[in-house]
Amino acid sequence: MHPLSRRRLLGLGAAAGAAAATAGLSACTGRTSLSTDPDELVLWLWNRSASPQLLAEAAENIPGTTKRLRADYIGTTFDTKLRTSLAAQSYIPDLTYINSNNALYFPSEDQFLDLGELGASAHEQDFYPWKWSLCRTPTGVLRFYPLDIGPTGFFYRRDIFADAGLPSEPEEVSAAIRTWDEWLELGAKLRRDADVALVQTTTVLFNMFINASAERYFDAQDRPLFDRPGSAVRQAWDLAVRGLETGVVANAASTTDQNAAWVSGSTAGHIEGAWWTQVVKETAPDTAGQWRIAVQPGPPGNSGGSFVALSRTCKDPEAAFALIEWMQSPENQVRSYNDVQLFPSTPASFETGEMDPQSDFFGGQDPLEFFSTAAETVPTTFISTHESKVGAFRTELALVANGAKESEAGWEAAVAEVNRVLEKRGVI
Amino acid sequence: MASTSSAATLPTRVGAEDAPRRRGALVRYWPQYVAIAPFYVLFLVFGLFPVAYSFYLSFTEWDGASDITFVGLAQYQYLLGDARFWNAVGNTLIIWVGSTVPMLFFALLIAFLLHQNIRFKGAYRIAFFLPNVTSMVAMAIVFGSVFSDSFGLANGLLRGIGLPEVGWLTEGWSIKLTLIIMVIWRWTGYNAIIYLAGLQAIPTELYDAAKVDGASTWRQFVSITVPMLRPVILFTVITSTIGGLSLFTEPQVLLANAGGNENSGGPGEAGMTIVLYQYNQAFTQFDFGYASAIAWALFVLASVFAIINWRLVRDREGLVERRRRRGGEAR
Repeated sequence: MHPLSRRRLLGLGAAAGAAAATAGLSACTGRTSLSTDPDELVLWLWNRSASPQLLAEAAENIPGTTKRLRADYIGTTFDTKLRTSLAAQSYIPDLTYINSNNALYFPSEDQFLDLGELGASAHEQDFYPWKWSLCRTPTGVLRFYPLDIGPTGFFYRRDIFADAGLPSEPEEVSAAIRTWDEWLELGAKLRRDADVALVQTTTVLFNMFINASAERYFDAQDRPLFDRPGSAVRQAWDLAVRGLETGVVANAASTTDQNAAWVSGSTAGHIEGAWWTQVVKETAPDTAGQWRIAVQPGPPGNSGGSFVALSRTCKDPEAAFALIEWMQSPENQVRSYNDVQLFPSTPASFETGEMDPQSDFFGGQDPLEFFSTAAETVPTTFISTHESKVGAFRTELALVANGAKESEAGWEAAVAEVNRVLEKRGVI
Repeated sequence: MASTSSAATLPTRVGAEDAPRRRGALVRYWPQYVAIAPFYVLFLVFGLFPVAYSFYLSFTEWDGASDITFVGLAQYQYLLGDARFWNAVGNTLIIWVGSTVPMLFFALLIAFLLHQNIRFKGAYRIAFFLPNVTSMVAMAIVFGSVFSDSFGLANGLLRGIGLPEVGWLTEGWSIKLTLIIMVIWRWTGYNAIIYLAGLQAIPTELYDAAKVDGASTWRQFVSITVPMLRPVILFTVITSTIGGLSLFTEPQVLLANAGGNENSGGPGEAGMTIVLYQYNQAFTQFDFGYASAIAWALFVLASVFAIINWRLVRDREGLVERRRRRGGEAR
């Protein structure tokens, strides 16, 4: 038996420690790519953002190339992790999904490749034009490629509307709420006769009005528009406040309260993107068959939807772009929809007839038909990178909603605070 | 066996070869230095470097991806006039005081009761400690359900006994109250266990003597338990100060998206704490320069409270010393 002396033990420990430190340091010396395998492209994404079947096929071989795909599910705080690797210039994925906040990356757009150079422009006609326009940076370069979209509509409970003596079939409701005035009037009636709200918060009205507006917070040169008289933001604010005054808004702030309100029917509607069909099914399964979708007042908007981009350090841009082309073709977007309900950004997908509309929950109304029609008329708009700095509007609106402030005082405080932040960040 | 014997010889050898050559010592003891190195290496990489780097960042403007630009004291200047920051400071202090005082009182009471000769002691101890090890995300869901406005248990109870409802998660003071309740619920058991350990170190003779003199339980608590526990109480006050000033998880998970914005502490930012504001600026606004300035402002604030704590301890010791001296003179 070989006795283990203390000195020998320490020596062994030191050797192991030194080995670990060397390994750690060598790993720190800056490997730009996540994978050392020259045939492996790494894609960062989050749960339910791609069809697992398509990813599995690409893991074998990316069609038309000799490369393979490795898909890394990144999970929460996606932007923080992506920005960390971009800032450190190490462990950068070859491709990355980016959520609807792609404008966040405009100031550092040179981190991503110009997809126009890879031949992306050939596909422009395949996509909804407003979505394609969101893929361009303010300098006019195409650095993002469309994934899914979220055209919006007015979800409502047919049974509650019928009981209150209101129009209840989708066509009737759509015809009755062509303007926001008519929508508020219908909501006020519902509040009076059945004591039921139409939407949960003033924030929903505020956000959805802006999401359906061609004009947003800033113009394409990042100049503020919100403080001009009659701006879209001001109109959205006024709509939200009127919703509050007419009792159309339930004022249910917490998720728990909102879910309970939808389940119990004390709130009989919502305005949201196509993906909410899945949410409401999971939130209020007992209300199956009672929900319908009507055209919201004004043009429909877009809420959510995501993009994919190729990093500057992508090891094989041609193969990476081939992957995107393949995954986002109208046929494969159909598969993504059937797998994980990503709403296609290519109109041609809806003509294949292979999509399962899952219309039972909506009493036979086809949500695919509804939202693909809605997507045709979503206005083209510009989302500025500085929209992340206008949170004060929602903060102040919440204060107006719980009675802590008058509308006008809240508006002025919001404009002042947003201007203060913009000034600090050197925008104005 | 071999290792124990060599361990025993080690100190004698140090004494025997009494040659105070530093370089020789370094050569001889390098395995020991290497053995303690991992902690210091990790501390340098994950502790000291970020601290130093955040100091540098606080004088710059950086969005985490573009170039870093030096702006001098601009971030601190903005901080002094930032109403949102001062709101966060106020909220933090209110929640800290509001939670620490009742929490330590309840903890002491619970520890005192657990120290008595009661049945199922172990079960109670575990029960009181459980909130501390419960997942915060699960807690946020439970608290969200209990305190939600229209469908929550708390408001259901108030309705049941005919009291007006409270906007637990929507109104300024109620949000703070909910957070205070959450902190108390989570940390009372933890402090109670620390107090219990302190109680067990108090010699039973003191209690026996007090009983012989006819002291009531309350008298024993006030005259023996509390004075004997003073160092432990000071320890919990200091840890509660640190925890209270850096309160983050509770408002972050409970008020995640309430008020229309991410990580903003609910309507009117009534539940915004200093660290939550720092997190908000760094990871939702990507203003790392300003977030670093907030971190250093918190450091200054924490230092002030640390000095107050330290002076309290020192004065207390001085007081005892003076009393003893005075007592000696009288005798």
